[in-house]
Amino acid sequence: MQALLSAQNPDGGWGYRRGGSSWVEPSVYALLALRDLPEAAEAVRRGRAWLRGLQRADGGWAPHAAVRESTWVTALVLLLEGLEGAGDRALGWILRQTGREATWLYRARMKLLGVSSDYEAAPPAWPWYPGTAAWVMPTSITLLALRKVSKVRPEAEIRERIREGRRFLLVRRCADGGWNHGSSKALGFQINSYPETTGLALLALEAEKAPGLERSLEAAERHLARCRSAEGAAWLEMGLRAHGRPASAPSSLREDTLMDAALRLLARRAAQGNNPLLG
Amino acid sequence: MKAMRGWSRREWLAGSGAALAGGACARRRATVRARVSLLRLGRYSQEIYEAVRRLLAEHRVEARGLRVVLKPNLVEYDPGTTINTHPLVVHAALEAFRELGAAEVCIAEGPGHRRNTLELAEAAGYFGLLPDFEVRFTDLNLDEIAPVRLESPRSKLRDLYLPRTALDCDLLVSLPKMKTHHWVGATLSMKNLFGLIPGAVYGWPKNLLHWSGISECIADLHRLLARRGRPRLFAIVDGIVGMEGNGPIQGTPKSAGVLAAGWTLPAVDAVCCRIMRIEPRKIAYLQMEDPGGLLAPEGIELIGEPLETVQTPFELIPQFRHLRL
Repeated sequence: MQALLSAQNPDGGWGYRRGGSSWVEPSVYALLALRDLPEAAEAVRRGRAWLRGLQRADGGWAPHAAVRESTWVTALVLLLEGLEGAGDRALGWILRQTGREATWLYRARMKLLGVSSDYEAAPPAWPWYPGTAAWVMPTSITLLALRKVSKVRPEAEIRERIREGRRFLLVRRCADGGWNHGSSKALGFQINSYPETTGLALLALEAEKAPGLERSLEAAERHLARCRSAEGAAWLEMGLRAHGRPASAPSSLREDTLMDAALRLLARRAAQGNNPLLG
Repeated sequence: MKAMRGWSRREWLAGSGAALAGGACARRRATVRARVSLLRLGRYSQEIYEAVRRLLAEHRVEARGLRVVLKPNLVEYDPGTTINTHPLVVHAALEAFRELGAAEVCIAEGPGHRRNTLELAEAAGYFGLLPDFEVRFTDLNLDEIAPVRLESPRSKLRDLYLPRTALDCDLLVSLPKMKTHHWVGATLSMKNLFGLIPGAVYGWPKNLLHWSGISECIADLHRLLARRGRPRLFAIVDGIVGMEGNGPIQGTPKSAGVLAAGWTLPAVDAVCCRIMRIEPRKIAYLQMEDPGGLLAPEGIELIGEPLETVQTPFELIPQFRHLRL
């Protein structure tokens, strides 16, 4: 925790690395990791103020103050509760987004060209960047954010997007049971899963009872047994615990970025039964 | 300079000379041509250090006092194949530039699929073969960024955010693996520039480039950097063991036993295509960066190994068999 507190930038945000300019992604993970810790209250206040100041007119957030486009990080910000009106506008932005491969125009074009595959048939989900295809990581983060929102706003549209997003994750699973960035095949050949995406997808699928999920959990356990990165191990631990599986990574893993440090802290809090990403 | 498309001012002037010479007398060889070195090397061994020094000397590369960024191709790791630039090639380049008096030599890459770049680099053997790798390495996906405007782009892009480590250096050395590519035919020193696109802005994969036209984006990115003049671009292609078939990830190792180098990236890539027995003028992004047909064999001055002695056909997936030279 001290490492995160001492790395906060004067503007209130956090960089990927100590001394680097503030980015939304590591800042949100730091704020979630520090949430409700009395000694971090002032840092959290400053961090949230910095984030609030970055909201764009369309309701979304850009990943960095220099970027002039709202992106997937909007869902990350929505994971922070208590955004009030800003949160409503962020939710509106998120619900307007979908992977480009799921738009009627793209699907009509593919139908005319006679192209048909699992890729085109996947349910609507969320891209990293507007106007591009949906992928596993932004979809997983958005599902976590919508799950939080749906607890206070049990609206049909939100429930339907959650249902579609979960189906998307299940369709995009790799043959080994885990997840990679979101392409389970290339030219018909299977592609292997990664640790970080497997852990995060499992976390987003908390309470999911779909067939074959046991295979995904086994894939996560295999990844965790040989994982060398703090980021991958943190997501795997949180993903496995979300499904009631005990999981612990070695404490000696290298933390390459401040985001790694924040995710490790989040994983430790999840192990204590309080995962700020879930509630 | 509106007619200058993709090449640096120096290269364009050289290329114009070649085109004029070719136009004036088709049978007379162009007087000013892009120079590309070929050096035969059968395996990854200690000989590579001398080989890279020789390549830099052949192109009169000066690095004294300069900030040099080595940009290898790190994509994914699969012990059964050869996806990434071999770390020995990177180390040989690092040592050679240090010997030339570079003020700083760093290694930088922004992989397109894996978020955890250091874990990937470790699996690919970079920690084992490159001393202080962690200290020298910059993850371009998470680097500081600056906006740049694309002038007359061929792709749908108008602006890009690029990493400051690449924009602010003096010399950017593209160190790709010689591979076939299932979307664009071949991936070499120009396609390797995709690793400059920051994942923290565009995601993993950098899917905006795919929707904006992959070949067009490769050409735009090269043109943007070549026009800026700083950093200067240089290429050293790892063709000792490349990849054929369903590249860039799921192909099969293919030994070509060669290193290729030069200042003019389209020319280096054209020569590498010919090594793989691919017609470079059928590769869309090379066509776009080929003003006046300068990538024709007579537009390039080859140094070192004769092309015929290192040519070896790389297997092509059915969609790209029409590229066969």
